[in-house]
Amino acid sequence: MELPSVKEVGAAARATLPRMGVRGVTVEYPGVRALDNVTVDFMAGEIHAIVGENGAGKSTLMKVLSGALTPNAGELLRNGEPTTLRGPRAAIRAGISMVHQELNLVATLSVAENVLLGREPTFLAGIAVDRSQQRERARGLLAMLGAKMDLDRAVSELSIADCQYVEIAKCLASEAQVLILDEPTAVLGEHEASKLLQLLRRLRDEGRAVLFISHHLDEVVEVADRVSVLRDGRLVARFQRNAMGVLQAEDGTMATEDTLAQAMVGRELGSIYPPKGSAKPGEIAAIELIEFGAADRSRDVSVTVFPGEIVGIAGLVGSGRTETAEAIVGLRRPVGKIRVAGAERTFKHPRAAMRHGVTYVSEDRKGRGLHVSLSSVANMTLPSLDAFSQFGGARIDAVAERSVVTRWINELAIRCARPGLPISSLSGGNQQKFALARWLETRPNVLIIDEPTRGVDIGAKAEIYRIIAALAHEGLACIVISSELPELIGLAHRVLVMRQGSVAGEVTREQLAEPGCEERIVRIASGLRAERQENHE
Amino acid sequence: MSRSHTGTAVRMQRFLEHWGVLVAFVLLFTVSAFKQGGDFLSIENFRNLLNQNAAVGILAVGMTLVIVSAGIDLSVGSMVVLAAAVGTTAMNALIEAGWSEPSAVVSGALITILAGTAAGALNGALIVFGRIAPFIATLGGLAAFRSIALAIAEAGEIRSQSPTMFSALGRGGIPLPFAENSAGKALTLSWSTVIFFVVAIVAQWFLSRARFGRQLVAVGANETAARYAGVPVAWIRFRVYALMGALAGVAGLVQSSRMNSVSTAQLGLGSELDAIAAVVIGGTSLRGGFGRIWGTVAGVLILGMITNILTISGVSPYWQGAVKGAVIVLAVLVQRGSRA
Repeated sequence: MELPSVKEVGAAARATLPRMGVRGVTVEYPGVRALDNVTVDFMAGEIHAIVGENGAGKSTLMKVLSGALTPNAGELLRNGEPTTLRGPRAAIRAGISMVHQELNLVATLSVAENVLLGREPTFLAGIAVDRSQQRERARGLLAMLGAKMDLDRAVSELSIADCQYVEIAKCLASEAQVLILDEPTAVLGEHEASKLLQLLRRLRDEGRAVLFISHHLDEVVEVADRVSVLRDGRLVARFQRNAMGVLQAEDGTMATEDTLAQAMVGRELGSIYPPKGSAKPGEIAAIELIEFGAADRSRDVSVTVFPGEIVGIAGLVGSGRTETAEAIVGLRRPVGKIRVAGAERTFKHPRAAMRHGVTYVSEDRKGRGLHVSLSSVANMTLPSLDAFSQFGGARIDAVAERSVVTRWINELAIRCARPGLPISSLSGGNQQKFALARWLETRPNVLIIDEPTRGVDIGAKAEIYRIIAALAHEGLACIVISSELPELIGLAHRVLVMRQGSVAGEVTREQLAEPGCEERIVRIASGLRAERQENHE
Repeated sequence: MSRSHTGTAVRMQRFLEHWGVLVAFVLLFTVSAFKQGGDFLSIENFRNLLNQNAAVGILAVGMTLVIVSAGIDLSVGSMVVLAAAVGTTAMNALIEAGWSEPSAVVSGALITILAGTAAGALNGALIVFGRIAPFIATLGGLAAFRSIALAIAEAGEIRSQSPTMFSALGRGGIPLPFAENSAGKALTLSWSTVIFFVVAIVAQWFLSRARFGRQLVAVGANETAARYAGVPVAWIRFRVYALMGALAGVAGLVQSSRMNSVSTAQLGLGSELDAIAAVVIGGTSLRGGFGRIWGTVAGVLILGMITNILTISGVSPYWQGAVKGAVIVLAVLVQRGSRA
């Protein structure tokens, strides 16, 4: 059943040769079959997307391909021949490079040094690094990617998008023929993401096999030549672009976001956005920003959010959205004024903001939003720890703590069998629910949530949207910051668009319902003129 | 080859990561028992082992908390001598001023602990508010605090002027029923050992059951995430260094009362290394965010037993450092898996 059909072999021959592949690969962890008899080929000159819910086996497959994991059964093929890869270094030598979600760059070294890390051009019989040649080669590689950046800058000063270019240039330096990217666009804004996809196309056209994992199904439909859908460790569907340029399955099903999502979850999904409730204007505003901003990063942000209202904030990465939110709760130095429930406040610390019911859920779940090495319980109760403290903090009421954790697990349908284990053992979606629940436990009046569904699978996404809508319905004022426009459009009552540190425009509830609204937001965010938008309509 | 599979080797590795320190403890214990025969297994020998290591043990418990917060304190040995010098000098002054012995000794003891706390608080302030790396700030303390103690006593010894009570604190203890020493006298569990145990138990409680411990672990595991979660990071970090200072004061009190004097050039010299070594042997990660007091207590006793064995076997004291060093490195190697 897993063997390629005659028709497929024909197609494969046309698309040159299978650069890399797996045959009947099975990987078992204690109690879980992460991959179950998976057979798939990756062709030179093709973009091959792997999609699936969190836990479907995508990362495990990537690990097998990049040599980080040896399967329990099945074999790895390189250029059609069975092969074994002993560790990631062997994979790199074999021309297989992986770009991880958490980029592997040395923050203190320069761009040029990072690009050629481990393969520095040397002179004096290998003793000294030839700096000028190092710079020259790095410049060449980055130019191939169409990226322009200062070669001497430390990587720590680069944006995430630029870091990704450095990482890809590094792969090219190792003459990678197979490039594996794990959710490359997850941390990018719309604009950067489309540039990156363009780059993937170019790398493909130069004859490389490009594999990527993505949760963004629209991207997949747009760029992939082949799509493999994993569910519970099994390959459940594959799509291939035919001569007409249409991505379809063997049975003729066309690949759309809907059919891919269906294949991923194995059932039909309704609309993932819940109906929008109504805000309650007239009441006193939950939070008011008056010419507010984060020092040196944003300014003149004025917005009023009423109880029950969901206000979206759109904008490119670097437009000052996150910085502004962080300034509200005292994580950055603020400028301007904040009024909370009518009273003017300045918060020096998230703790102070929390006392007045203002909370912020970070976009960076692994680095800032949660303590990945600590248990789900410890993570869940950290912000509200005072409520569980007895005898002046000398004892934490562990029973109360457990019962609160259990309550949230039930309330938000979190899949967490053992809350005492490190939270890193949970899927992204369940981690995100805890990241949200820990702040809801502090009973906030204002919830600022930054990238609520980053790295979260489609099933959990829908649930998080429902949770946010239900919270708003109960009177919580929500500010949702997101790079995913469909999310803002589907969820928010109105959307502010930020550009270069200030508000460049606002999209009203009526405008959000109009077609072409996504384009309108992109235009404002990237500073294009609004008249063209009107002509377009 | 199969890195992610649970083979025998992997299971062995995991077992050693968690329980290696206990395995080492039992191993050394057995070796000691064979080496020294019945003497080793006597209660008196244990009492001596605990007695000799109580002061370092108290420091190591505090160091565990500091290291859990992803910090380090190199100044503990110097804080010990400074606290003891200040406290003993104050006690002597009070006795000369005509105070009764009990009130002078109690005041002196409190001043010792307060002096340690003040030194620790200074470390904490430099680290938290002065934004100096813990290693550097406490390296400064290592040099400065001992130098102040030396200056107070002009590099000499400060003899206690308390006729009996002060040394009773150092040498007395709780009588152990049914236990007598080789000379047939009743054995006592010394106050220093009692203090060490109380400190360890309270610290273990704080680390695993109290708000301070939870927040300390959060700060050590990821300071940024702790700040985002509303943990008062600066206050927590400040407090752990002040607490370390207080415990150094307690250790200073234990040591000075045992000797009935303070040798400003010798007291606490190099004990920062013993304390850090015990913490590392005990399996606490130097990266912070994870720690266990019981491991540290085992680490202290392991180091103590090694010294005993080497001394009894007639190994030159010059070589003992090399053996200890090897043990520390070995402990880290064994425990370097997921954590260290």
